[in-house]
Amino acid sequence: MPQSNENSTPEEVADRLVRLAEALGLNLAPENLADLAQQLRLLDALERDELQDFAPILKMDAGWHD
Amino acid sequence: MTEQLALINLSISEAASALRRGETTAVALTEATLARINQTEPTLQAYATVPADLALAAAEQADRDLASGRDRGPLHGIPIGVKDNCYTEGILTEVGSKVLAGFLPDHDAGVVDRLYAAGAVIIGKTRCHEFSCGGSEPPTRTPWDLERFPGGSSIGSGVALAARSAFGAIGTDTGGSIRIPASINNLVGMKATYGRVSAFGVVPLAWSHDHIGPLTRRVRDNALMLRAIAGHDPRDINSARVEVPDFTAGIERGAQSMRIGIEREYFLYPGLTDEVRAATEAVICQMADLGAEIIEVSLPELEFTRETLNIIGKVESASYHKELIREKGHLYSPGTRATLEIGQAVLGTQYVAALRARERFRSAARALFQRENLAALLSPTIPVPAPLLSDVREPRADADDGETPTDGFVHHVYPANLSGQPALSAPAGFTPDGLPIGYQLMGRPFDEATLYRIAYAYEQTQDWHERQPPQVYD
Repeated sequence: MPQSNENSTPEEVADRLVRLAEALGLNLAPENLADLAQQLRLLDALERDELQDFAPILKMDAGWHD
Repeated sequence: MTEQLALINLSISEAASALRRGETTAVALTEATLARINQTEPTLQAYATVPADLALAAAEQADRDLASGRDRGPLHGIPIGVKDNCYTEGILTEVGSKVLAGFLPDHDAGVVDRLYAAGAVIIGKTRCHEFSCGGSEPPTRTPWDLERFPGGSSIGSGVALAARSAFGAIGTDTGGSIRIPASINNLVGMKATYGRVSAFGVVPLAWSHDHIGPLTRRVRDNALMLRAIAGHDPRDINSARVEVPDFTAGIERGAQSMRIGIEREYFLYPGLTDEVRAATEAVICQMADLGAEIIEVSLPELEFTRETLNIIGKVESASYHKELIREKGHLYSPGTRATLEIGQAVLGTQYVAALRARERFRSAARALFQRENLAALLSPTIPVPAPLLSDVREPRADADDGETPTDGFVHHVYPANLSGQPALSAPAGFTPDGLPIGYQLMGRPFDEATLYRIAYAYEQTQDWHERQPPQVYD
């Protein structure tokens, strides 16, 4: 699976993505997967260090009566 | 100047006044625009479809309505282009894709409903990149330079306005697709607040970041168009239940005492060309001369907006296109298919991490605007003038980090797609070679009026909007 962890190298993340893409039957260019892997690594680092207090928004609209 | 040229050079406001003074008719405006389309389309190819008979019939109706006292407002009888990702009943809607070849919707998009209600004449469907993202380039060219990138994905909307083959146009903006063609074609483009304009009947790219908005040649025209198309639509779950003001009401009150933030670390980064940097600094100086307070600010959270928007966008695009690709994958161009499919390889936890990162950025932006009492953040719209078509995906010779023009296009525009804040691009000047440069204002949610007021004040000090592209009269 392409979930990275603190010890993942960029190559490991990219390799996992390639294997997942193959399993899903996706025919993707290596450079596209490498870009995605880089973005996911940055996001994972952000999640570990700076997203503790932030949840995805689900705002309820009080206007269901109309 | 011939009568046709005189008509097609009018702003929306001027055309609306001329109509009411009896100096022209909706039919005359429409015929002049159709003639212009015939002149320019062989070279520029801004339009995917031009339903001339329908447009003339709508113009005749608009004239009859006006004659009988039924005035629908400033867009009444005005020829408007609509991006080809917006459903139009009975009019081809192909979104630049072979997948939707021949598709005739049985209803109109919410934004098209609003245009009809406002009396506008739909002059044609403007070309866009394939499914608004595009791994292939449409044949559209900008009259500012036929060899250069004309903008995207609302490519035809920008070019039609620059060529004077529409008075206004609808674009959509998921990652800059209104503001980038506005900047490249010397136009005003508004990506209004998320939910301000209905997305019903617009083929999605990424639901969380899709915005619909107007492109025009003048600031006031843009404010008029936004008022006409904005408003709650129960058919769009994300449509905002917020009052729509008259955006022109205070537009002439000037920029005095407006607090305008400048975030140099991210927005004036080394990737700017010298011309774009100089033009942006000149806009900042002019804003100060107009009485605005220029505030140096810091928003380090801008640094992760690109990755965050990309992950969310890829997953949402993959979700929308999954079944279509299963059924008709061979009809996608390979580059587009890869772009729309790759999100399937993102885990659910990673998508949620991106949603959390988005909230972090929104919170930081909100806190900055509140803490500094900002009216707007000012930046360039894109870091480079329009590059040569052959160079769009090549590393820039003047950039140290291998950034391509395509990479750079998203730098300034993505943050407002992520936060949902309104963002406007307007003309900021020209390069020595005559290529347009744009500046961007990002504002507070549902406060588009302040952006119009600032941009209008700046527009009064310049004549950028009056310049004609060299190909228009050739």
